[in-house]
Amino acid sequence: MLAKLISYALSGVDGFKVEIEVDLNAGLPSYEIVGLGDTAVKESKERVRSAIKNSLFAFPLKKITINLAPADSKKEGSYFDLAIAVAILAASEQIEDRSYKDYVMIGELSLDGTLRHIKGVMPLLISALQAGYKKFIIPSANAEEASYVEGCEIYALDNLKSVVELLRDEQNYKPLETKRFVNNSAFNKYNVDFSEVKGQFVAKRAIEIAVAGGHNIIMIGPPGAGKTMMAKCVPTIMPDMSFEEAIEVTKIHSIAGVLDSSKGIVTRRPFRTPHHTATMPSLIGGGSNAKPGEVSLAHNGVLFLDEMPEYQRKTLETLRQPLEDGYVTVSRAKQSLEYPARFMLVASMNPCPCGNFGSKTQQCKCTANEIHKYVSKLSGPLIDRIDLQIEVDNISYEELRGGGEAESSAEIKKRVEKARAIQRERYKGSNIFVNAYMTNAQVKKYCALDKTCELLLKNAFEKLNLSARASTRILKVARTIADLEDSENIRPQHITEAIQYRSLDRKYWE
Amino acid sequence: MRYSDDDKALIMLSADATLKKRISAFESVEHPSQLYDDLSLADEMIAKMQQHGVVAITRLNELYPQSLLDIYDPPIVLYCRGNLDLLSSRAIAVVGTRKATRYGKDVTKLFVEAFVAKDICVVSGMARGIDSAAHKVALDCEGKTIAVVATGLDQVYPAENLSLAQEIISNGLMISEYPIGTTVHAYRFPERNRIVSGLAESVLIPEAGLNSGSMITAECALEQGKELFVVPGSIFAQQSQGTNLKIKELQGTIVTDPSDIVGDLQAKDEQEQIQLSIEQHMILDMLDSEVHFTELLEKSKMGVSALSALLSEMEIYGLIRKISGNYYVKCPMI
Repeated sequence: MLAKLISYALSGVDGFKVEIEVDLNAGLPSYEIVGLGDTAVKESKERVRSAIKNSLFAFPLKKITINLAPADSKKEGSYFDLAIAVAILAASEQIEDRSYKDYVMIGELSLDGTLRHIKGVMPLLISALQAGYKKFIIPSANAEEASYVEGCEIYALDNLKSVVELLRDEQNYKPLETKRFVNNSAFNKYNVDFSEVKGQFVAKRAIEIAVAGGHNIIMIGPPGAGKTMMAKCVPTIMPDMSFEEAIEVTKIHSIAGVLDSSKGIVTRRPFRTPHHTATMPSLIGGGSNAKPGEVSLAHNGVLFLDEMPEYQRKTLETLRQPLEDGYVTVSRAKQSLEYPARFMLVASMNPCPCGNFGSKTQQCKCTANEIHKYVSKLSGPLIDRIDLQIEVDNISYEELRGGGEAESSAEIKKRVEKARAIQRERYKGSNIFVNAYMTNAQVKKYCALDKTCELLLKNAFEKLNLSARASTRILKVARTIADLEDSENIRPQHITEAIQYRSLDRKYWE
Repeated sequence: MRYSDDDKALIMLSADATLKKRISAFESVEHPSQLYDDLSLADEMIAKMQQHGVVAITRLNELYPQSLLDIYDPPIVLYCRGNLDLLSSRAIAVVGTRKATRYGKDVTKLFVEAFVAKDICVVSGMARGIDSAAHKVALDCEGKTIAVVATGLDQVYPAENLSLAQEIISNGLMISEYPIGTTVHAYRFPERNRIVSGLAESVLIPEAGLNSGSMITAECALEQGKELFVVPGSIFAQQSQGTNLKIKELQGTIVTDPSDIVGDLQAKDEQEQIQLSIEQHMILDMLDSEVHFTELLEKSKMGVSALSALLSEMEIYGLIRKISGNYYVKCPMI
C-alpha cells in the first residue's frame, strides 16, 4: 500500500517541499530510500526502524520503497525521519485516519522514538507557510523558535507516539501559542556601554555618524587603545531590530545552528568577530554543507574584523561582494545559494606591525618597508568601501581614571534613531534606507552643494592631497552629519567635519 | 650619442668586476680600448641603453662633471637618463633617513625650496623618506634635481617610487654607475653614496638615525672635502641621533636656516592675508607645540563636531596640520 506525506528541506535560507512516498510490496523484506539523499538521509533508515519498534508499533516485514520527490534535487539532513516513520506507519495501516495528509512533518528521530532538535525550523516553517500549508508537526525542542511564526497551527511534540496519537485524535493536543514580538532596549541588555569609554571623543563621534548613516568604519590605533571595546559598543547604539529584521537574522542563525533554542528568536543585533585566521568559506559561507558564513551571521548587525591587515588578502577581497550588494553567493558544484549579508563593517588596525608608529611614548621599531607593506595589505577597492577612517587615541592613565561621566549608549542611540528616521523618509520608495547605500545618481540628488561648499571641497582636495576616490565618500558622510543635525542641506561645517574622518587618505605613512 | 672605442671599452669595464678592480684597470692603461680585444659586447649594451633612453657619459667625455673627477674613486661611466645639462649645474646633496618624521620632511621642504629659489640642483638618492621628499619638493617647485640610484637605470627601487622616477627622468636627471640590468644589492648603496656627495658642492642632512645610510654619505662628503651641513633635532628622536652625533663630534656645520647655506634669500611675497575668526585665533594660540584633539576640546569648550569642522577648515586654509594620532600642529610659516 502507498502513503504520501509532505516534509520540507533547506536550500540556502529557504525551504523547499519534499514529498515522502512510501510503498509496501510483497516480497523479501528490504528497505530502500531513493531520491538523492545524503548520508544523514540514508542513515535515517536505522533510526526510523528502531524508533518505530521502540514506540511499540510494528515495523512491517515487507519490501519497503521510500521515494523523496523531487527526485533530482539533493536532500540533506535529518529532517525527514519523522515523515518517513509516519508514512511507514500509514502505509502499513497502523494509522487508519487520513488526517496525516494535512500536516507538514519535520523532525529527527532518536532510537527510542523521541523527537530531536533540528536546525533551520524557522525558515522551513516560513517557506511552507508561504506555499499554503497551515498545519505542522515539529520537535518540541524547536517550539520557542516556531512560536514566532504567525498564521498557522504548529504542534510541537515530544515523540513519535504522541505524533501518532495526535493524528488519531486532534482534540487532545493544542497548537503552539503565537508569541508577540517585543523589542525594546530594556529587553536587550548589552554588557558594554559607551559610558564606560573614557575620552576617545573623535572615535565616539565617528562611530555615531557611522551607525546613523550605515557607514563602514575602520579604527586605526596602537594596541590597548580600546578599539575592540568601542567596536563591541557599536550594537548598543544601533536602532532596535524590527520584526522583519529579527526574522531574517533568526532564519540564518537557525540554519547555522547557532540559535539559542531557549530564546527562539534573535532580538539583539548580531556582533560577529571572526578570528584573523578565518578561512574564506568560514567568512563568506560554503564548505561541504554550504553553511552561511560570518558575513551572513552578521546580517543586520556588525561584522568586526580586528587587526584587519592580518587577515589573508584573498579572504578580505571576498568581502567586496557582500559590502556592495548586501548578499553573498555561495557556489558549489551542483547549486549556488544566496545568503543575505547586509552588515556594518567595523574594522581595526595598528598603524604598523609593532603598533607604535606615531606614538608619543613608544618607539616604533618597524622599517619603512614593513610599514608600507602592512598598510598596503588593504587593497584600494576594499578601503574604498569604508567611509570613515579614524585614528584612536592612545589614552593615558590619568584619562582612564579621571574625567567626567561619558555619554551613555542610550543617549547616542536616540540621536541615531532620529537621523535614521529622516533617512527612511527621504528614501521612501527606493530600495535603500541609509545614506551609505546611495548610488551615484542619488548622491547627486541628495548631496547637492551650494557654491561655498563646492569651493571648499575643491580647496580641500588640493590642500590636503585627498585621493580622488574620497569625494563621494565625504559627501555621503557629510549627508549623515547633516541628518544628525536635522539640517536639510549640507553645509560647509558638515563637509569639513567629514574630511576629518579620512585618515587613510592622508598618507601619514609615506 | 656616438661612442668611441675608448668609450666602448669603458662601458664594458663598467659591467666588470668590483669597483676597485675597475679603477685600477682604468688606471693601468693609457687608452682604455687596450683593455679589450673584442668590443662587440659594448655594442650590445649600447643597443640596450638606447631602448631605455639611457646615455653613457664616460670619464673621457667632456660632459663628465668636474666635481666627480676630483674625488678619490670616480665612477668609470655615468649612465644618465634625463636632462644632461644638470650635470654642470651647481648642486647640493640632500640626504637622510628612510623613516622620515614630519619634522624631517618640514626641514627638507624648507631647505629644498630655498635651493630651488637660488637655482641650485638638488642631488639625492631616491630612497624612501628624506630622499624622496627632497626630489618631490624640488620637482613641485619646478627646480632641478638629480637622483643617483644604485641599480641599473631600467629599474626602480623602491618600487613605490615608480611615478617619482618617471617624473625625475622627464623633468630632472637620473644617473647610475651601473649598467642596464643591474639589480638591487645591499653593497651598492654605500658605493652609490660617494657619487651623491661627489656631485654636490656640499651635503645637507635634515634628519638621520645612527645607522642611516646617510651617515655613510656624510663620511664620503668629509673624505671628499665637501662641506657637511646638519640640522639639529630633538635629543629624544631616534631619527635625529645621527645628525646630533655629527654635531657633537664637530664634524658638520649646524644649520638652522637655509640662509646659513645659500645666503639671504629674497623675501617672499607676503602671505595672502586670511581674515581669521576668533575661534581660529584661539586655536592657533593653543598650538604652541603638538596638541591633542582632546586637549583642544577641553580648552576651547567647543563641541566635538564643531571643533572637528573648525580644524578641518583651518587645515584647508593651510594654517594648521593634522598629524598621526589625532594631534595637530601649526604649519611652519615659510
